[in-house]
Amino acid sequence: MSPAVQRKICLLGGFSVGKTSLVRRFVQSVFSETYLTTVGVKIDKKTVELGGRSVHLILWDLAGEDDIASLRMSYLRGAAGYLLVADGTRPSTLEVALSLRRRVETDYGPLPFSLLLNKRDLAAEWAVGEAEFDTLRRAGWRVSPSSARTGEGVEDAFADLAARVAG
Amino acid sequence: MDLPERIGARLQALAYRERKAAWLRLGTDSILMRAGGHLEAYGLGELRLGEAALDQAWFLEGLLPVTGGPQIVPSLELPGGRVADLHLDPDADGVWVVLLDATAERDAVRRVQQKAYEMTLLQEKEALLNRRLEASNAALLATQRDLEASRAALLDAHEKLQAQAAELASWNRTLEERVAAQLGEIERMARLKRFLAPPLAELILSSGDERILESHRRDIAALFCDLRGFTAFAEAAEPEEVMELLRAYHRALVPLIQSFEGTLDRFVGDGVLVLFNDPLPCLDPALRAVRLAVAMRDAVAALAASWRRRGHALGFGVGIAQGFATLGQIGFEGRFDYSAIGTVVNAASRLCEAAKDGQILVTARVADAVAPLAELVELGPLSVKGLSRPLSAVDVTALKSDAGAPASPAVAAGR
Repeated sequence: MSPAVQRKICLLGGFSVGKTSLVRRFVQSVFSETYLTTVGVKIDKKTVELGGRSVHLILWDLAGEDDIASLRMSYLRGAAGYLLVADGTRPSTLEVALSLRRRVETDYGPLPFSLLLNKRDLAAEWAVGEAEFDTLRRAGWRVSPSSARTGEGVEDAFADLAARVAG
Repeated sequence: MDLPERIGARLQALAYRERKAAWLRLGTDSILMRAGGHLEAYGLGELRLGEAALDQAWFLEGLLPVTGGPQIVPSLELPGGRVADLHLDPDADGVWVVLLDATAERDAVRRVQQKAYEMTLLQEKEALLNRRLEASNAALLATQRDLEASRAALLDAHEKLQAQAAELASWNRTLEERVAAQLGEIERMARLKRFLAPPLAELILSSGDERILESHRRDIAALFCDLRGFTAFAEAAEPEEVMELLRAYHRALVPLIQSFEGTLDRFVGDGVLVLFNDPLPCLDPALRAVRLAVAMRDAVAALAASWRRRGHALGFGVGIAQGFATLGQIGFEGRFDYSAIGTVVNAASRLCEAAKDGQILVTARVADAVAPLAELVELGPLSVKGLSRPLSAVDVTALKSDAGAPASPAVAAGR
């Protein structure tokens, strides 16, 4: 059996897109409707098994980017990869995610990442069209819808990123 | 630091106690060498010295080794809920890791930030709702414009329909007028055909001059004929049989009347009155009347033979007179007849009464007119009912050869 590895993964995105809820769903398999903003960074740990090897994911849930609190890029130091999160019901958060990705790449170079369009369960309010999905996918991005409420796409997104950063 | 030793010690004790200070000493190979302070507060109560720090203080993943000078990772919330400011202070033999509690500060910041974010979310929702409202308004306005356009188109179509309806009504009126005119013509034609040969009736109609039908006096030949023994037959026979016989009788006579261009005045049962020289004038009314009478006699003789075979003994007699009579339409709207009134009609009728089967009795004037063309037998004065003077009756027994052909076409209508 291969020795376990430990990797730092960051979650980035605009405020209230559901980053903390995605981590809670992934780590504790729970979801809460209550919105509690993250200040600074919230750290959690989850171990996934990949091909007979344990990968300890150290999850850094970073405070959302917005006009009030700009992302402290130093939090990303030593990250092996990151998940960009946007709210599918708020198109402006997709712009924030795209901007964050450019800044991360500028400061830390190309790192494995995926884009999650969260809150997929709110179908009636969904505002991101398939055309945007296709554009990003054609650019080589890993883009998938997710729902912290239902769990849709959550495990898969973390497992996929874990496989890519585990080496 | 410009602090008296006692104050410095005091502040140190305060920071250590109030901010739950905890520390780790890592070697250059990130092995945990020593640790102290409020370690339990950060979930680090069971540390194993001499082992890898990253396996125990896993929040340090990615942060080691520390390069450059001291670093601070602020507001780090650990799984237990404790928030710490993480200080990394490297030196030549390793790195000092210091954790200082920042939960209270984080909570204070979060309270403000939470309000601000909630407000922003509300504004975003409001903006979204406004956009949807505007989109709905725009859609409604578009629908309203479409409806107005449809309404205008409908009004236009309605006006066109009304114009077409008015045009149709006008055409209808024209059509009704034409139909009424044609009906009137048909009615007049029907009326005329009752007593005129169809070609003559059409002639009058095409000339458009109906003054010919107004009351007037004219010298005419009147022919009256009927069946001998008809009254007795009608009393004895079934009505259906009587009617059938009369139909055959009339079918035989009417074409003859028309071919001789006589004016059929009336049928009265088996009695038939035919006039000549009115309303269309002719040069030889007496001769035409006699020729018709002979043709009638021959036709009825053929019919009488078949009647006899069925046991009905019926004969045929004719009376012809010539003289002035008053002629014209008589009757009222819806029931007009063209008729002649005068002694000449009575004379013809009485002569007919007097005639035996197969006899054609004519007045002396008629006999004079046809004498060159007919075989005549004078019967002498004949007293008849309704006339003050006896009639000189002459029996036309036959026509001389070449005298029985139908008359030449009538002269054009008009007097």
